[in-house]
Amino acid sequence: MIRLSLSLGLAVLATVTSAQAAELPAEIKQAGALKLTVNSTYAPMEYRDPATNELVGLDVDLANELAKRLGVKIVWSETPFAELIPSLQTRRADFIISGISDRASRRETADFVDYLATGPQFFVMADNAAKDATDLCGKKVGTTRSTSFPVEIEKWSKQNCEPAGKPAIQYVPGENSIDVRNQLKQGRIDAAVQGSETLPYAQTQEPGKYRVVGEPFAKGYQGIMFRKDDAALREVVTEKLTAMIADGAYKAVLDKWGLGANAVAQPMLNAAPQ
Amino acid sequence: MKPVPALAEGFPDLSGMRIAREPHWFRWLSAALIVLVLAAIVRAFAGGQIEWSYVSRFLTAKVILEGIVNTMVMAVLAMALGIVLGVVVAVMRLSPNPVLKTVAAGYTWLFRGTPLILQLLLWFNLALVFPTIGIPGLWSARAVDVMTPFLAALLGLGINQGAYTSEVMRAGMLSVDIGQYEAAQAIGMGRLRALRRIILPQAMRVVIPPLGNEFIGMVKATSLASVIQYPELLHNAENIYYANSRVIELLIVAGLWYLLVVSILTPLQMLLERRFARGTLRLAR
Amino acid sequence: MTKPLVAIRSVSKSFGEFQALRSVSLDVWPGEVMCLIGASGSGKTTLLRCINQLAMIDAGGIWLDGELLGVREQSGRLYRLSEREIGRQRLKTGMVFQRFNLFPHKTALENITEGPLQVQGRKSDEVRAEALELLRRVGLSAKADWYPAQLSGGQQQRVAIARALAMKPMLMLFDEPTSALDPELVGEVLAVMKELAKSGMTMMVVTHELAFAREVADRVVYMDQGAIVEQGRALDVLGAPREERTKAFLSAVI
Repeated sequence: MIRLSLSLGLAVLATVTSAQAAELPAEIKQAGALKLTVNSTYAPMEYRDPATNELVGLDVDLANELAKRLGVKIVWSETPFAELIPSLQTRRADFIISGISDRASRRETADFVDYLATGPQFFVMADNAAKDATDLCGKKVGTTRSTSFPVEIEKWSKQNCEPAGKPAIQYVPGENSIDVRNQLKQGRIDAAVQGSETLPYAQTQEPGKYRVVGEPFAKGYQGIMFRKDDAALREVVTEKLTAMIADGAYKAVLDKWGLGANAVAQPMLNAAPQ
Repeated sequence: MKPVPALAEGFPDLSGMRIAREPHWFRWLSAALIVLVLAAIVRAFAGGQIEWSYVSRFLTAKVILEGIVNTMVMAVLAMALGIVLGVVVAVMRLSPNPVLKTVAAGYTWLFRGTPLILQLLLWFNLALVFPTIGIPGLWSARAVDVMTPFLAALLGLGINQGAYTSEVMRAGMLSVDIGQYEAAQAIGMGRLRALRRIILPQAMRVVIPPLGNEFIGMVKATSLASVIQYPELLHNAENIYYANSRVIELLIVAGLWYLLVVSILTPLQMLLERRFARGTLRLAR
Repeated sequence: MTKPLVAIRSVSKSFGEFQALRSVSLDVWPGEVMCLIGASGSGKTTLLRCINQLAMIDAGGIWLDGELLGVREQSGRLYRLSEREIGRQRLKTGMVFQRFNLFPHKTALENITEGPLQVQGRKSDEVRAEALELLRRVGLSAKADWYPAQLSGGQQQRVAIARALAMKPMLMLFDEPTSALDPELVGEVLAVMKELAKSGMTMMVVTHELAFAREVADRVVYMDQGAIVEQGRALDVLGAPREERTKAFLSAVI
């Protein structure tokens, strides 16, 4: 099934690249490679396989497929989450595909091609009593401090705990998603918040340990991030992505990582609500 | 008896001549080169992608100032813990008791042999090994409740420092002339009393200058506690740039503050050194 | 017959492979002033340090005031005494070192009061009064509040003698007390030692000052290679030595 879609994709590639190859920015064409940097601590989007230490993930697979269709290689590098945006601005990376959310505050200097539905999601240890998300009001909730989630939690708490007359959620910072799950296991926090895209993976890694509470409480998208002045590259990648969705290569990658439910019908530009 | 002969001929009197000053061409040249390099660096920083308005805006932000206070509080407390542990362990190391000696050597080996950041992470996540801690029968508590970022940072930094301080203390104690110890013994003092009243006070004079240096290092080492959520300077600066993406501007803010603190402490430490060196020089006959 | 104050029986001591004392036996009588002479390495300093247990003997026994030092005998075997008991035994002797070893962070007066206050736990006014008296006795009343670094070598050594005397020992041990002094300062120290001898203190003095020995010593002991070669009255050992080795030593130093 995948081989069929791949060969179909190659056929599309053959027709499309012959017409569009001219639009790939000159430096990239010359180098024959895309420079991409990821924060490889975010399974299943991008992480190092503990067994082989290889860089793997949904974003890695999507990027590899894109690069194939563009006729270039990829030179991967890794960086902390907070360095992703600076890496784009200093041109260390051509674009960012690294589980980064499309947010209005980030659109000052960048454009997002949204490719995956996401949203912050509460989860607890399986034996926790919490049933609804409002059971978490007044409790300690942790999340990675370098993301937009602390702000999301505060907003949600104001909108849902205050009106119900319950105390606000106590936010507890963590360094990364593994640190956060660690603190949850030790009981330093009662619940945690992570992007909904990470939870199916966490649950297969440690089956039965965690339980999701409520629905993702803010609908959003993961986006591929481009510099504002890089419209040409952005359009080329959007075209390839559209093709991948059309011929099923995109769905195949998502299904491989258990995130078929987070698929989008087509790539969108700066479509996240806030 | 022969009379003292007159001075020999052929050696002129140079006492009226002055020694000419050397031009030191190379020094001038290298100084000029260094000034040029520095000017180029300053220009790069001024013209680069740095928004200096953010630097000035956050330089005295409340969160940053709180961070500095927390940094200094932790530095002082952890250093104090390190010194206390260092003295105890050094005395144990010099004891004739092989059990004490081995425990002391083991402690030093373990805490100097692992990276500080690793130790901090282990302390913070202690609950994974000991979910409950306490004294059986008297008091118990959840490890996560006891091991706050503050306590984890204090223990991590202090116990690590103790391992290094114990070596400094040991060297200091061994540097005291053995005759001092013998004189103390000759008037009937036991080992511990002699250490406390005679050896340690003299060792401190030798040990305080390097400890001053270690303190300056400790001020910067506190930045590692950012990964266990202790709200020191770096942690707070990071939180700001996590929100506004101004990474390098906030790092410059933090860097400037660290530089300021160290610039104040360094001449103080040199004063300390000179005062104690003067003491020991005075003692030398 | 009165018992000797110090009874040394078949004492041996080695440092690694070097044999410092070879089965030495010696008596020291109360009130006696004994001078030990000999080349360096002859064992005279080691013998002194065995008496106040700064060095532990390997074989034999030393009795001080009738008490066996460093060990206790039980059912035919010897057991080492604890550090505390050894410390207590050390109180009976006072030692004056070649390099004075005054505590540099304490004044002259504090050096003298340290032992009585800290080790013997005596009251501070008494101790202070006695210390001032001792300083007067060694001629240094004016320097009570001076630090060792501010004193000359001779003055420091005199304070060291006062410090040892403050513990009220029954035996004073002097380990080459004037060897580290400039020649013009030797006299003031020897004067104090002479006064001490006159007052009836039992003294064992390791020294090279043969004139002092001739004047003050009741007995001179010449040691060589860890054994006593010759001993007797100062006149005899120094003026008319019987042994060849004694003669050779004396002719080399005079």
